[in-house]
Parts: sequence; C-alpha cells; structure tokens
Amino acid sequence: MATPAPAPESPRAVANKSSKRTLLAAIRMALRIESPAVRRNTQTFNRNRYAATSALPDYDQLKDRTRAIKERAIAGLPELLATLEASVKRNGGHFYLARDAHDATGYIAGVCTRAGARLVVKGKSMTSEEVGLNHVLQAQGIEVAETDLAEFILQVADEQPSHIIAPAIHYSRERITALFKSRFKTDLPLDTGEELTRFAREHLRQKFLAADAGISGANLIAADSGSIALVESEGNIRMTTLLPPLHIAIAGVEKVLPSRADFAPFLELLAASATGQKLSSYTSIITPPLHAAPVLTNSDTAPRREFHLVLVDNGRMSMRQDPVLHEALYCIRCSACLNSCANFQTVGGHAFGGETYSGGIGGSWEAGTRTLEAARFSELCTGCSRCVTQCPIRIDVPFLNSTLRQRLNQRDAGKISQLFSSALADDGEVAPLQKLFFGRYDAFGRWGSLLAPLSNWMNAIPGVRLLMEKFVGLDRRGELPPFAKPTLVEAAKNRVARVSDPQAKAVIFADIFTNYGSPSRGLATLRVFQSLGIDVVVSDTCADGRAALSQGLISTAAGQARHTAELLRNYIEDGRDVVLIEPSVLAMFRLDYRRLLTGAEGQLLFERLRDHSFDAVEYLWAFMQGTGLDAAKLFPASRHPLGKRLFYHSHCQQKTVGSAPATEALLRAAGFDVATSSVECCGMAGSFGYKKEYYDLSMAVGQDLFQQVAEAESDGPRVLVATGTSCHEQLASGLKRRVFYPTELLAALRPQLDG
Amino acid sequence: MSLIDAFEKSATAAAATVERVARTPDQIAAAVARVAPAGPLAVAAPLYLPTELFDACRRLPGAFDARSRKAMDDCVVGITDAFAGVAHSGSICVCIDHDYAGFVSLLSRFHVAVLPAENIVERPADLFRPDRLNGDGLRRNFVFITGPSATADMGPLVRGVHGPHRLHVIVV
Repeated sequence: MATPAPAPESPRAVANKSSKRTLLAAIRMALRIESPAVRRNTQTFNRNRYAATSALPDYDQLKDRTRAIKERAIAGLPELLATLEASVKRNGGHFYLARDAHDATGYIAGVCTRAGARLVVKGKSMTSEEVGLNHVLQAQGIEVAETDLAEFILQVADEQPSHIIAPAIHYSRERITALFKSRFKTDLPLDTGEELTRFAREHLRQKFLAADAGISGANLIAADSGSIALVESEGNIRMTTLLPPLHIAIAGVEKVLPSRADFAPFLELLAASATGQKLSSYTSIITPPLHAAPVLTNSDTAPRREFHLVLVDNGRMSMRQDPVLHEALYCIRCSACLNSCANFQTVGGHAFGGETYSGGIGGSWEAGTRTLEAARFSELCTGCSRCVTQCPIRIDVPFLNSTLRQRLNQRDAGKISQLFSSALADDGEVAPLQKLFFGRYDAFGRWGSLLAPLSNWMNAIPGVRLLMEKFVGLDRRGELPPFAKPTLVEAAKNRVARVSDPQAKAVIFADIFTNYGSPSRGLATLRVFQSLGIDVVVSDTCADGRAALSQGLISTAAGQARHTAELLRNYIEDGRDVVLIEPSVLAMFRLDYRRLLTGAEGQLLFERLRDHSFDAVEYLWAFMQGTGLDAAKLFPASRHPLGKRLFYHSHCQQKTVGSAPATEALLRAAGFDVATSSVECCGMAGSFGYKKEYYDLSMAVGQDLFQQVAEAESDGPRVLVATGTSCHEQLASGLKRRVFYPTELLAALRPQLDG
Repeated sequence: MSLIDAFEKSATAAAATVERVARTPDQIAAAVARVAPAGPLAVAAPLYLPTELFDACRRLPGAFDARSRKAMDDCVVGITDAFAGVAHSGSICVCIDHDYAGFVSLLSRFHVAVLPAENIVERPADLFRPDRLNGDGLRRNFVFITGPSATADMGPLVRGVHGPHRLHVIVV
C-alpha cells in the first residue's frame, strides 16, 4: 500500500492533475477545505437554474435552435473566420488569429506595449486564463487588474479558477475576509458581503479610471458584423470595454456565429442555464471599436479608440477534426454541467478540474487545449447523466468523458492488464485492471454466481478484500453485493405462467446487475405483473454495455449493445414491451445506444428498442392507467406490513430519462406517504464508490442524501425505497438499513399466485 | 397581461423600481426629484425620445455637465432614455454610444431610465428582428440592463457593485 502524500494546502500545487497521485491529493484538499462553500454555492446555482429554465416557455425549442446554430458554425468555421476578419477590419478594428497560447499572449503584449499601456483592467475571461495572459503582461512591466470580483479574489490569492463562471466559488465569505485582511492594509470593515464588495469597488474604481487598456472576453461573436455579446452582472466588463481608449477582446475561435441575429436564442438560454436569471444584470451587444462614444479623459485631447479582436486556436481547430471531442466546441460555458453534478457539488473545480477548465465539460477542454493527461480529472465524471438534459446545447458530456477514459486507458494499461484485456474480448479494448474489473462485471458476475456461495465466502475471508483492493482498486470498506444463486433467469424458469387473453405482453430484461446481484427485484416485478394479468417472461441475461461504457471500454460496450438489442428485438417482434429493472440500463436503451448502434440499420434497432422500453413501475403505472385499474385497491398502502410512510430516492439516470415521476405517482395513488430526495445522484454512481481512491468522495456526496432521509424522518421512521442498484448499496452502506425496490414493496400487497 | 404590466412585474422581480408617468418634461423631472438622492446629476441626451423631454431634468438641483472621467466618477444620479424594454426579462435597452448614455448609465450610483411604453417588446430575441424597433437592436451598440449591478462573489448576494446600485425605470 502506497502511503498517501500529504495533502497540499495550495490549489496551485494540485492544478496539474496529469498524475493520479495529484488528482487524489486535490480531492483530499477540496474535501477538507473547499467543500462547504462549493456545495452551498453550486447547489444554489442548480436550484436557480431549474426554476429559470422551467420559466422559459420555449426552453426546448431554444435548445434546438442554439444546437443547430453551433453545429453550422463549427462546421463552417474557416469561412466564418474569414468573414469575421473582413467585418472587424471594415469596422476599423484589428483582427488577429493566434495559433497558440504563446502567439496570443505575444500579440496582446505587443499591442499594449506599443500603446504605452502601463495599467490594464481585465474582465473575466477563461481564454485569457488558458493562455496565461497575466503573467506575460506582468513580465513586460504592465500592471494587470482583474476586475471581476471573483477573479480579483483569485488574483489576490494566486489561485486558479474553480468554476467556469464563478471562479472563486470555493471561497466562503469568511475565507474572503481572512484573505483580504491578510493582504490589504485597510481600515475599512470587511466582515460582510456588502463591506467586502464596497472595499473591492473602491479599489477597482481607481483602476478603471486610470486604465490605459481594457481586456475582455466575448460570449458570442458575429461574423457578419463583428458584433460581440458580453454577459456579466457587476458592470466591470462595461467599464473595461468603454472607459480605456484601447479595448482588446480575447476569445476562442469556437465563439464565432454566422450572424448577429443568431445571438437571439442564446441570450435567455445562457442566463437561465448559468445563473438562473432571465437575463443577468448586463448583456452588452456591441460592435467595437465604439467610435461614437467619446473617450472620457481629464485633458482636452481625446485619443481615438482602438480595438483588437484576438481569436485563439490553441488546439481548437484540431478538436474540430476530432470525431467525438468536436462536440465540446459547442459549449457556451454556462456551467450547468458543473452545477448539476453531484461530484462537482462536493469538491468543485480544484479537484474536478484542470488548470483552467472544470467540471464535466472541462476534461474535453483541457485535453483539447493542453494534453490528454491534463484531462485525468474527468475520471470524476461517473456518467450519472444529470448534465445531459441540462446542457443548453445538448452536449453529451458523459460520452465525451467516456471517450477521454478510453484514450487514457490505452496509455495507462500495463502488460498484465493487456493480457487480461485480450482474454476477455477481442475487440481491441485495453485498460488498467480496475477498469477491466468494473467494466466486465458480466464476466465476473457469471463466475461469481456459478461459484456462489464459494465466491461470497471468499469475499469474507480476511485478506481477500485487501488483495482485491491492491490489484483492482476495490475499496475494502465498501460492502460488495453477494453473488446470487439462483440467478434471476434460473429462478424465473419455474414461475412463468401462461396468461390467456392478456391485456399486455412484456419481457423483463435480465440485466447482469439484477441477474447476478439482486434477482429478488426482478422476481417481485414478475409477480406483481402476473398478478395483474400481464403476460410476462424473463429474457436471457447478457451484458448491456453500461458497465463497459462507464469504464471507457467503448468498443466492448458497442458489441454488447448490439448483442442485447438483437436479443430483445425478437421479443419486440413477438409483441412484447421491454421492461427494465435497472434504470442505468433503461438509460442505455433510451440514450446511449444511439451512439453505440452505428449505421442506418443500427439506428433503426436503437429507435425500435428505445420506443418499446420502460422502467418497471413506469410500465406498470401506464398499464394501470390504460386499463383503469385503481392503485388504492390493488396496492392498499394502509395494509402494508411495513407501514405506509416511505422515503423514495430516484436514480440519477432515471431522472434523466424521465421515468422517475411515474413511481412517485403510483406510490402516492396507492396511498403511501412519500417523501422524496432532491439530490442529483446518491454518490455511488455504478461502480464509482467501490473504487479505493474515490470511496471517501462517494460517501461525502452521499451525505446530502443521508441528511435528507434524516430530515424526512424527523417525525418518525420511513421505509427506504430506491430504484437503482447502486443507490441501494449507497443507502444501505451509509444508513445500515434495508432498502426496497418499488415492486418488492408492492408485491407484499398482492395475493400469492403460485407460491 | 399587457406588455407594460408584464414589464413592470419582471423588472420589479429583478430589483428595479418602476413607475408610469405622463410624457412631459415637468412630469419626468418631478418623478426624478421624488426618487433620486441629492448629489451631482448627469443627463444624457435621449436617443429615441425628443431632446426637449429632458429639459426640465437638466434644471434639477445638482445637474451638471459631465464630460470628463473625474466629473463622471462623482456622478450620483444618471438619467438616460431606454430605446426598448423587454417584458419577459424586465430589461431595458440603453444605447451606449449615443451622447454620454454609456457612461451615465454605468458610472452613476442611481440610474434613472426613461422608457417609451410603445417600445416594450416581449422577449430579448425581439431585439434581433429587423421588423422590430426599426431594426435598432441589430444595428446599435447597446446593453440590456436588468436591475442594478450585483454580485454573489463575496458570499451573499450584494446589489450595487461597479455599476449603479439602484435602477429606476420611468415608463412614459
């Protein structure tokens, strides 16, 4: 066992997470110091975003439009850049396309030096962070004043951003007070948000008025007119672009859209997705240079305004050619994928982030603008999919991260794991042992069940778990679900009853988690369905690809997806709907198979399966509504032996595919008193929480859920109900209590059919 | 709900204050006098409304001709017009390179914006349509202003950062 490195206090020390060792040190640092502020602030953003997007009457249409505009813009980027250059020059500005960070900073330093600038005020710009602009300017003897209050804090503290729109989100008010008191000699009080803001305002006001140059970013750029959109709430960007005689805007090339009219669908969507506002305080739409606005000076000679638009490539044009990562170029940096992420909410961007970019989308950006290894923190994406429906441009962030994982696997795989890889499959996927272990649960599950109870005894033998921790990184504190015997498929063989004149025909898919790990969930579903006269059978078991995909074994997942889809196609052709016990498998069928089943025929297979697949209770609820069955009569909650008070936790992917409300509706209609969780994810997230290096983080994420259970039980105990397997394990391990699958609960209210 | 009512509701939710006043120089100046704190007061020439409409404001106590950084920095009250309002977001649109409106609406502590009721549109996207507002939204250098400047970077939400601490909209 390697001794853990001492956790460094400084975020800068863990900014470069190319090595796993630094990544783990960063997680420890964040959990110890930054977690409370990050949790509070991201969860506020998260709640506000849900409220704001639901208040947009055309939210989905806006997303369709922005997606279409971005796809068109990135596809035609070289032409747009040429048009934009002509527009900027026509307006009287200068245009510069910088190859890389060195080129961009060199150009800007040259412009500032030629203008004799000694003081530069800056608005928040992640691109300027990416290229390291401040250090280059300071090396030329130019003073740089960050004027966004969060960037101001970071400049004082010398830290990298921890969030793409709120870069100092890891700072509590108390820590800012302590920081300012130690760095500034001031008599002003600094003990409230107002006092701190007043102090920063006075300090920066002098900088604005004295600045020789202003450097801003740009949220959107229009090729047809050279117009830019700048979104902010403090007013510092307006100062930066209006007061000094020299304005430089720096942005990535991906910010260019065809026309100014294309800004229209982005503005409300960006504000709602970012800060949860209808529009943030200031959204400037300008076509610099602002010749008509007078240059305010204190002398009689007013200089003419000068404008430079510096667009940065720095890897983006290569990303554009990447079959998967090009999708990251659609990002408008709203941070919805950060704020809706349970892991991000718990550690923030100093752990779940690189030197500039953070969160789910951040891995692709660090990989694209730096190196693949710089994206190692994207390991913290569990694939829970909560960000997928929250992204205003519909970027499939988890798939980007699976792809990064696949590429990192190729680099990380040692000799032994390469041997194992080829023994498990001949699809060319190689990965380190831990990824193989979790990604090929199907193989381990098959042997584990065959050998049960021997395999379960082995798990209990002292030393075995230690060995597993050492070789596959399975944390020995996690409680492993025992391998079941008989499996779901074996147990169901004798329980399939012929139903004459059925009102519905279904097949329960024996996914590997249910089949080998918890067949009782499938059997309970079988029983409830049969008791309502549904003609139901259980399929053969096979790996659906979820486990493989989550470990970056994408080719393996694709092979398994095809096999699964073909197996189930036979049932669908027989007139059966596919019923899923495990929500992560339903999410595969509804979302991920679109990518995994390639070709025109693969897409047909995907669509067919998607349209015929249902969560078990979702299916049951639809059946009952369609046939007019009364939940209160079928499942009278007041007669339940465990009582009618429940706490229901829906699974992350279940929320994403929209199948969670049906369970709540059915349970309530049956008369249960249902309290629900509002967390995005339980923290276990498939296999994530089993991994030695992430066990503590996983349990820290789980604290929110455990807290919500405690609050819901302030007036008495409740029965814990959850749909996802991993949620079961997280709740059981955090609260040491039994957790029920919804149909297990309902089955107790149905008469026994055949014993 | 009418566009004016919707605008008033949204702007108020965004922490602006809104009142409706008759479109005369005296009525506008009286409205400013009722809400504005004492101190140097700068008036930017209106873009859409007739210039004379701001004449009475230029005679209010504290009114001065702010043409330098120093003078503008001292400005407590700033009066501009807004060439558009947005009902859904409660925003006003101020042209920032017409006269001194960009500075007055930014450097003052208390911004009063005079908004012609007929120029209220439904959504921000309407500013980008050639058939609305003479296509001004597609041509002008302007800013959507939604409430006073604000930040959450120092912990709790604080209103009043670099831009004005208060925004008062007079719908005429």
